[in-house]
Amino acid sequence: MSLLELENVSKRYGRGLKERVALRDVSLEIEAGELVTIWGRRRSGRSTLLRLAAGVEDPDHGVVRLDGRNLAERRCEMLGGDIGLCRKTFSANEGQYVLEHLLVGQLARGISPSQANDRAWEALERTGAGNTARLTPTELDAGELVRVAIARALTLQPRLLLIDEPTIGVDVLARDDILQLLASLAADGLAALSTTGEATALTGARALQLSDGELHGRSTRDLAPVVPLRRMSA
Amino acid sequence: MEDNAAVQTRVKRSAGPMQSAVQWALLGLVIERPSYGYELAQRFETAYDGMLHLSGISYVYTALDTLQRRGLIEEIPGSRGGRQPKPRYRATTEGVESYKERLTAQIQEDFRRSRLFARQLAVFAHQPEAALEVIERYGDACLEEASHARLPSQQTGPADAISGLAARLVSEESRLSMEAKLPWVEYARNEFRALAASRARRLSRGHESA
Repeated sequence: MSLLELENVSKRYGRGLKERVALRDVSLEIEAGELVTIWGRRRSGRSTLLRLAAGVEDPDHGVVRLDGRNLAERRCEMLGGDIGLCRKTFSANEGQYVLEHLLVGQLARGISPSQANDRAWEALERTGAGNTARLTPTELDAGELVRVAIARALTLQPRLLLIDEPTIGVDVLARDDILQLLASLAADGLAALSTTGEATALTGARALQLSDGELHGRSTRDLAPVVPLRRMSA
Repeated sequence: MEDNAAVQTRVKRSAGPMQSAVQWALLGLVIERPSYGYELAQRFETAYDGMLHLSGISYVYTALDTLQRRGLIEEIPGSRGGRQPKPRYRATTEGVESYKERLTAQIQEDFRRSRLFARQLAVFAHQPEAALEVIERYGDACLEEASHARLPSQQTGPADAISGLAARLVSEESRLSMEAKLPWVEYARNEFRALAASRARRLSRGHESA
């Protein structure tokens, strides 16, 4: 059984002439310890796919499962629990300094202040962002923001990490360090699903292409798509 | 008796342009740093791992002989000394110039291959489903290539300045070329899908009128 499974998932927005198909019959399986990155252009459906994988939205058709359990039925238990959705925005309402942003979500879930503090520092160190704890998010560069966003998700000890465009706006040298970080988190047993508009961010991941709502590439870890070339009719 | 220059001219004329990718790669390693046969074989394995295959160390000596006869490399005087003589080679000015020309010609060849692939795919204008199958495979190959490009920090072996630079250049070339190819795959898929849809409509109208 895969950790995350999307089975024949479709999603539409709008109605009538304004209807837009965001995902068409998408199937995807992700195992623990795997880094999967989906390349797609804007409006290809990649953000929708992440929202469905997070359980933030339900599919119109098909099922999204985590550990075999339908996300639509157990959403509240998953997001912020087994599923860590990395957000790169930091609301001033949640705190001033980076460390506070990493504490608030934990405290809201009943984790004790001392334990939350330990987890926050551990997550910052794990993502190489330990030196940002006393800074405000506005003082961070693009690469540091991503590291802190990942750290914030890690404080809740997810089994699946979801992140949209982890390398956008990050300079070339820092970009590879972010990819290396995601690969190392996967090597520690975490499953990570990211989306990107930059093919350079596919390195080290199982790479797929999302085009006009359709997913292309290896939908499972082990099975390469077998597309036999048909004999041409005369 | 023929002098060296005369021999080299005669070799070049009789043998034509040097075609072997391995010989060009060995010339590149000599340009990078003067070297001797055994060391070149070891450096070859590290530098061109997964890109070129060396059939055996004896081929290195054959290739060095060819490169020398063509005047692309020369033996460093006095390097045969000692109990185990190891002649070391360095590139000649002509060797460096030829290597630069070869690199430029390879770029042209890459462009030509890409155009050829696109043209050859177009033969399926009347069988768009066949083209779509090829495009799927091409897209999968691009994704695999983008996925397997190594991060420079994952490179193994001694981290000297040249190998670090080479790793970054190879990785970035591979990844950025996929940056261009993936949108092309999308474009080609849309073109042939439109053809397939139009063909299906024509067939459907044909059935209706029959």
